[in-house]
Amino acid sequence: MISFSLWDIVRNLAIGGALTLLLSLVAFVLGGAAGLLVLFARIGKWRVPRAMAQMHIELFQGTPLLLQLFTLFFGLSLFGLDMPAWLAAALGLTLFTSAFLAEIWRGCVEAVPKGQWEASACLAMSYGEQMRHVILPQAMRLAVAPTVGFAVQVVKGTAVTSIIGFAELTKTGSMIANATFQPFLVYSLVALAYFVLCYPLSHYAQSLERKLHAAR
Amino acid sequence: MPLVSTNRLHKFYGKNHVLRGIKLDVEEGEVVTIVGRSGSGKSTLLRTLNGLESIDDGVIEVDGARLDVDHADGDTLRALRQKIGMVFQQFNLFPHLSVGQNVMLAPQVVKKMTNAEREGIARDMLSRVGLAEKFDAFPDQLSGGQQQRVAIARALAMSPKVLLCDEITSALDPELVNEVLNVVRRLAAEGMTLIMVTHEMRFAREVSDKLVFMHEGRIHETGHPQEMFARPATPEFANFIGSLN
Repeated sequence: MISFSLWDIVRNLAIGGALTLLLSLVAFVLGGAAGLLVLFARIGKWRVPRAMAQMHIELFQGTPLLLQLFTLFFGLSLFGLDMPAWLAAALGLTLFTSAFLAEIWRGCVEAVPKGQWEASACLAMSYGEQMRHVILPQAMRLAVAPTVGFAVQVVKGTAVTSIIGFAELTKTGSMIANATFQPFLVYSLVALAYFVLCYPLSHYAQSLERKLHAAR
Repeated sequence: MPLVSTNRLHKFYGKNHVLRGIKLDVEEGEVVTIVGRSGSGKSTLLRTLNGLESIDDGVIEVDGARLDVDHADGDTLRALRQKIGMVFQQFNLFPHLSVGQNVMLAPQVVKKMTNAEREGIARDMLSRVGLAEKFDAFPDQLSGGQQQRVAIARALAMSPKVLLCDEITSALDPELVNEVLNVVRRLAAEGMTLIMVTHEMRFAREVSDKLVFMHEGRIHETGHPQEMFARPATPEFANFIGSLN
């Protein structure tokens, strides 16, 4: 029987951890970009894009991430679209992230007092000028803390992609646990790795919240 | 030809008919004060003048810029708003910008002024309201009275033809009211056209050329303030000034 040293376990988990980190980054960056588009559609004045953005948000907020991934991975292959696990994982998490970030950011835009819209309108600014110079700078300040906080959800959300076979941290962990018969040790290490990724983020979100609330 | 004129102005909030056919003319250099009980439509009337409230019928003309029910798109509104400055009860300064940036923003993005031009104007306007030294301060470092004076400077920096003042001293501590009224008094003396809604009756009597008493969505009584206060023509206005004391 092959024996595994602790080093073997840690080294393999580190590779899975790197993929988790990479997947989180991709989902967060692409999801953020897509979320921005959804946001502008959602708060804009055109009816059709607004309705589409709302549907997008409700669809991805109202269904489990797991089913979104299943639909992408298994569902699309029924139509002959063969999707590798990594692509389904990245795409699924990106869509999921875009819906949540758009909704978080919409709340921040709407939290900017109505008087700011009125004052800038009275200065003859157009909608775009109001957004760019008055509303978004204030909304962004409000958005920083909840956005960083949501990044924690994205990191943890990547664990779900293990189900479709993407070899990130959780999937790697379960494979190692099966091979070593040391599930307690391995899963503890996996949990620790998630904690090491998430704790600094949530701590950072908290300190940002304190700082930005105290500042103007 | 009046600088500001409205005709047949009607406004509904749902079934509530808040403006019932307003005809109001304001000459250049005139100071007009709109008074009335809360709910009489006075703030609504002021806010329709620059399109902050839409209208359901009628016409608004300000120095050649015209707005009516069928012509109230973005370009029309912006053309109108270039002629009209507005100061609010709650100041509404931009909290993320310094005092100087607050005043320079619209000259920059709307009038496309150069850096030097807009800074010159901002410094001029701030010294006009006595706050030249606050150029680099942020709004939350100022008192309410100072913030309101910055808001006035910000409006003036767009060189409006007329300035609307919507209860601009109502949110101020009593000891800060006068510094703002003094600025308005000076603007009036310099010939600025002003249309204000205020609860400061003594001030209204002192600076206004014309008083407009609103009652149930109509201009119920209008005239020279001294005469109106001395001899109210309608029982509603007599009642209103009676309730002030």
